[in-house]
Amino acid sequence: MTQNRVAAISSATTELRVAWDGAQHIDLISAVVSDVFKGTGLDLDDVDFVLDSGSDVLDGRSISNCGFLGALGAHHKEESRIEEDGLWAALYGVAKIASGSADVGLIVAYSKPSESDVNLYYASQCEPFYQRPVGFDHRAASGLQAQRYLTSHGLKELDLARIVARRWTDAARHQRVQIKSVPGPADVLASKNVASPLKSLMMSRPVDGAVAVLLASDHIARRVSRTPVWITGLGSSMDRHSFSARKAGALEACEVAAQRAYRNAGWDSLPKPSLAEVSASSAASELMVLESLGLAGSGRALDLLDEDNRSINLSGGALPADPIMATGLVRLSEAMRQLSYPDEYGLKAPSSAIVHASGGVGMQTHCVATLEV
Amino acid sequence: MTTHVGIVGVGQTHHARRRTDVSQAGLVREAVDRALNDAKLTIDDIDSIVVATGPVLFAAVNQPEKWVVDAIGGSLKPVVRVTSGGGTGLVGALAAYYQIAGGLADRVLVVGYDKLSEGALQYSISTLYDPFWGREFAVGIMGFSAAYWRARMDLLGHTEEAAAMVAVKNRRNAMANPYAHVKKEVTVEEVLKSKPLAWPIKVLDVPPISDGAAAIVLSSERMAAKSTDRPAWIRGMGYFCEADNAPSRSMLLSEPLAIAARRIYRAAGITNPRRQFDVVEVQEPYTCFELSYYESLGLCAPGQAAALISSGATQLDGDIPVNPSGGCAGANPIGAAGLVRVIEAAAQVMGKAAGNQIRGAKLALAQSGGGWANLRGIAVLSA
Repeated sequence: MTQNRVAAISSATTELRVAWDGAQHIDLISAVVSDVFKGTGLDLDDVDFVLDSGSDVLDGRSISNCGFLGALGAHHKEESRIEEDGLWAALYGVAKIASGSADVGLIVAYSKPSESDVNLYYASQCEPFYQRPVGFDHRAASGLQAQRYLTSHGLKELDLARIVARRWTDAARHQRVQIKSVPGPADVLASKNVASPLKSLMMSRPVDGAVAVLLASDHIARRVSRTPVWITGLGSSMDRHSFSARKAGALEACEVAAQRAYRNAGWDSLPKPSLAEVSASSAASELMVLESLGLAGSGRALDLLDEDNRSINLSGGALPADPIMATGLVRLSEAMRQLSYPDEYGLKAPSSAIVHASGGVGMQTHCVATLEV
Repeated sequence: MTTHVGIVGVGQTHHARRRTDVSQAGLVREAVDRALNDAKLTIDDIDSIVVATGPVLFAAVNQPEKWVVDAIGGSLKPVVRVTSGGGTGLVGALAAYYQIAGGLADRVLVVGYDKLSEGALQYSISTLYDPFWGREFAVGIMGFSAAYWRARMDLLGHTEEAAAMVAVKNRRNAMANPYAHVKKEVTVEEVLKSKPLAWPIKVLDVPPISDGAAAIVLSSERMAAKSTDRPAWIRGMGYFCEADNAPSRSMLLSEPLAIAARRIYRAAGITNPRRQFDVVEVQEPYTCFELSYYESLGLCAPGQAAALISSGATQLDGDIPVNPSGGCAGANPIGAAGLVRVIEAAAQVMGKAAGNQIRGAKLALAQSGGGWANLRGIAVLSA
């Protein structure tokens, strides 16, 4: 694909909590920036560049990266802010290392939505002339997508509740997400209505947290990592802003991003990847993402649950824990962990993974990466 | 830097204090159309798009790339936004450069813009400061800049007169720039007598606030010929930062800019910038910064900036012309300003500068920066 092979060699995440009220942004960031070097033999001096993802709006601060540069370990280094999910920052980092101009890149994404208003974060993305005046927002877009999906495929709200319960159960098992109690399908159905047919527990739950990933060139990766995870394909795509102009009942940009990534990786016909970690902003959109990625046929994503499939979102995915702007990079981190320590997840010799991130109102933009070990 | 990447098309809007006739999306479209036209391409030829804007608070639309994508015709392409304060335009070009150099794309469109008439600029900038310490007494970026200029006056001799000469030079150069909107020559005396805003910064040391957009098309070497037989080749580009909070920084020299210059010059084979560069474009938020940049960029020794501007070397007919476009003094759409510097430098080595073409320019330097003067980068472009 790219000029030189690039690996993800290490990652670190904070616990994902509803509110990290005892910690500032810089505390979360510096925790992962110091943890990510453990076991690599590398330190900050080896880092050629830092790329970070966060949101000025969620942070309540203009050019918020400016205030976090010390915590990011970026002092006197090359640094850029990618104001999109951290998987896009990783994509940038891969390109930079692949070009041969750098060997080690530090990718950081973080979020503290507990200090902000997530509904306004999305509503302020809507253009001000046609969408904002009628109150169109992310909840409305997600509800419309879910309605269409359920109707088209003859599914019920209970089906969405089942996937939510499964994801929370998986997240609770691995203890990296703060969970007081795992909701069962009945709890999900009984939760507050958000945008019919979606209940509040069917929406991804915003959480605070930070994640860091170290990327390295081939020769560094082979020297410092027991199991380098090679990033072999990357693709992204942004859909139309106008919600009514998007292809109804589909996540077209997700399909396009996936095709780009697979082609990039040389996956001519999609081989069954060993595992996938995907982002979604609602239970319905998670099913749509799985289908757009080619992991299930149209309207069949729920079957992945019934087959007791142990390879999709073993971390629990974004439904129980959505650290907005960091969610996709957390997926990369989780996929790395599953590829490197398959026993912990009941996986047998996994060799490849699909990682997915998205952003925007009604998941307007998508990024897909393929990993191989 | 094994893969050669070139700028094959450039475009910018006619910048204005207030563009009430277009939305942000329309503004972006104008610059994109010009850049694509200049590159003899359509949007269908573009593999990927990078959008660069200043902080979203400037114009009150969060993640505005997701809105303007429709106006560009970029839907279903890879679109990403990078932002880094005032230097965001150059940071956008840098991201695009690596998409091509890393083999992910052949042609990337970069568009930078800001529609500053739609927001409260200095208020937005004040939110840069730490909410627990600093924001309660922050007043935009001007007081901070004035304090450090004062220090450079005392220690490096960056006098008010020397800075006034920057204003005189840049405003004169802007007269010939068709895209600039401030077109009024001033004298050193007028600058010195103009109203103090945060002394020593006076009204005529300050650039305008503008609405404007700029776009470039970057291409791999193998695809460049379709657009032009004379691209502006990127010989090196980088953007560095300084993490320390204000009280512990000296700011006598811009450290991140000096680092950028040292690293990128080495990569680009620049050993004597003053002699080698034919033309320089710098993004000067206030006149005093241009003086500081002369030193950080190695155009003169530390402490010699006042002598350099006084000598006339940085005038149009000097040996190292700086800002023949007029720089930010002519137009200052912040999110586009860094990209405008890249465009003006590229146009010089492509031999098609709209205003003051420096004859035979082969090697150009573009500088850009932002944040609280802690984010700084450069690009070295050659014919």
